Amino acid sequence: MIILSLDTSCDETAVAITCNTKVLSNAVWSQISLHARFGGVMPSLAQRAHEERIDFVTNKAIKNSGINIKDIDAIAITIGPGLAIALGVGINKAKKLAKQYNKPLIPINHVEAHLLSSFATSSTNTVLNISFPALGLVISGGTTQLVLINDIGKYEVLAETVDDALGEALDKAARLLGFGYPGGSILEKIAKDGKVNKYSLPLPLVNDKEKNRFSYSGLKTAFVRLYEKEKKLNKQDIFDLANTFQNTAFEHIINILKYQIIKVQNQKINIRDLLLGGGVANNVVIKNKLRKLCREKNLKLHIPYTKKLNGDNAAMIGVCAYLKTKDESLNKYFNFEKIDRNPKLNLKDKNF
Amino acid sequence: MKIFKENKKAIKITVEALKKGQLVFMASETVYIAAVDATNLEAVKKLVLFKNRPFGKPFSIGVIDINMAKDYVEINNTAKKIYKRLLPGPVTVISKGKHKVANGVEAENGTLGIRIPDYIFFQEVVKNFKKPITTTSANASYQRRPYKLTDILDNISEKQKKLIDLIIDAGELPHNEPSTVIDTTIDDTPIVLRQGDIKLKDKNEILSRNEENTQNFAKELWQKYEDFKGKRALIFALEGKMGVGKTQFVKGLAKAMGIDEIVTSPSYDLEYIYESKIKKNKLIHMDTWRMINPTEEIINLDTKKLINDKSIIAIEWADRISDAIRTFSEDAIVVWVKINYGKNINDRLISWGVI
Repeated sequence: MIILSLDTSCDETAVAITCNTKVLSNAVWSQISLHARFGGVMPSLAQRAHEERIDFVTNKAIKNSGINIKDIDAIAITIGPGLAIALGVGINKAKKLAKQYNKPLIPINHVEAHLLSSFATSSTNTVLNISFPALGLVISGGTTQLVLINDIGKYEVLAETVDDALGEALDKAARLLGFGYPGGSILEKIAKDGKVNKYSLPLPLVNDKEKNRFSYSGLKTAFVRLYEKEKKLNKQDIFDLANTFQNTAFEHIINILKYQIIKVQNQKINIRDLLLGGGVANNVVIKNKLRKLCREKNLKLHIPYTKKLNGDNAAMIGVCAYLKTKDESLNKYFNFEKIDRNPKLNLKDKNF
Repeated sequence: MKIFKENKKAIKITVEALKKGQLVFMASETVYIAAVDATNLEAVKKLVLFKNRPFGKPFSIGVIDINMAKDYVEINNTAKKIYKRLLPGPVTVISKGKHKVANGVEAENGTLGIRIPDYIFFQEVVKNFKKPITTTSANASYQRRPYKLTDILDNISEKQKKLIDLIIDAGELPHNEPSTVIDTTIDDTPIVLRQGDIKLKDKNEILSRNEENTQNFAKELWQKYEDFKGKRALIFALEGKMGVGKTQFVKGLAKAMGIDEIVTSPSYDLEYIYESKIKKNKLIHMDTWRMINPTEEIINLDTKKLINDKSIIAIEWADRISDAIRTFSEDAIVVWVKINYGKNINDRLISWGVI
């Protein structure tokens, strides 16, 4: 099934073409625009920016895929969660295309797509050995969720953030230390040269009994307090602070994950796989921590085959649409006029 | 539930009810209060049940003068000065308790708040009862300030109504602020925990000791401005460093508005919209932290239309768009809230004003 997919849920304007789980093209504006060549192009959240870019990115995705738009089987579109005015731009474009070429339009949840992004493949004959129920962890700028995936479309949120998302906390810590965009990846770079044992920060919610939530507000507070207490900071101190913050932020994830894995296993649910997704999944340190945990717990860790699938992108939307609809008729998706954005869409909500 | 008009005859009826451990609603110079015998554990438990809050959250008690207060708390010099200067009046003075009241009235750290209301009916009741009574406001937690009986009765469940034994109706009270709460137990200087009509300094400033205090403060501000709902747009502009508790404030605000979803930071998506199930309150939660041209981008989020629609908006990192917000203040009530880190790790100094 060939799908043209679009995502304008946040900063990125993204369009892709997929065939089943294979990614044929995956265009995101910040990487294909001319400005990007000069480095550090800042994505913008404005509705106008999405409107200006959407046609360019769509054409690029089609061209890169080598597919004729008339030959696609369906269009997939992110309807939430995200910023309402930004979501609207993608939905309008998707409806226009669906009408023009008489194609079904499949509404997709952006977080669900991150959750299943490990299913994306680079060639048609790759078969992934993932069995359900499985665990899924989405860590990004806007989301921090641990999910029990009973099947495609059947989810149980085991833990989610009650204040900041992991990626947001990393960005904020980076800005406090004086670094600009993109904060999280700059933090990762400088943390490499830092020690973790010079400073100490409290692990969030260690005394939480249920361990069914993530929280970064207390860690941010402790970090500001620590930073302001230290009067003269040299370069090495900044590296050390960066590493301490990043490490504590990740240990919190591991801590909750450990607890929830045991809890799930105690319920005699046989879990063999952990699926990772979201922008923070590009961080090498968290990947290593998760690999170690998975070895201990006898789980297989699945990470999308390319970094591009972790950041906001549309190929994951196409793959998600395929996985959700592969066993059903697409007839109902021709009735797409009622599709609307849902900025607060969550995994329990029905998209359609 | 029995209802009597407030008059001389009602004094005796009230005292008899208190003696039986009953829950009595009566007026004070601030709001209607929920009074029980502060030395009767069963009565206090009943009050906890009505207020719908966990056991162990303290209640202040009402007495008639400093001598009566001395039986229940230790009054230091700081406290003595405040009693002399400000009481009777709309002030709650927190001192070290002497553990003479029922369990659950004093705070976990052993402190106790004392009120001496400047209200004749109240004073007559306590004089005749000869024991202190609780002076907590007569609404359930996070509900409307009780200035008249309907404020109370329209916002509670049938189960809660059944807990009320007696109501002394004094009509609609003037819309005064709840009492100013002053803690005298820490230093030589008194610390304001809640700002009412009485001010110790020339600006509005309170000390929050934890996230719960900050949320509670947001509730107080909501209750103060709630009457503008539907008449004017209401903007809570939040300023303060990372990790200081801006989102905590919005969590408290949402709770006070009857929203039961989990409020999270909108830094990434820029805007979240929450709606309450019961009261049809809608809260727009915005954040400028990630905006590149915040003044332009905040307008892009249709803020002008939101103001025309008389929306309720909370904006984090408002200082990044202070000029834009100043222009909003022509059509909206803008409450500027500044949160600063305090001396101790969990302390926050919160100041506010309408611009």
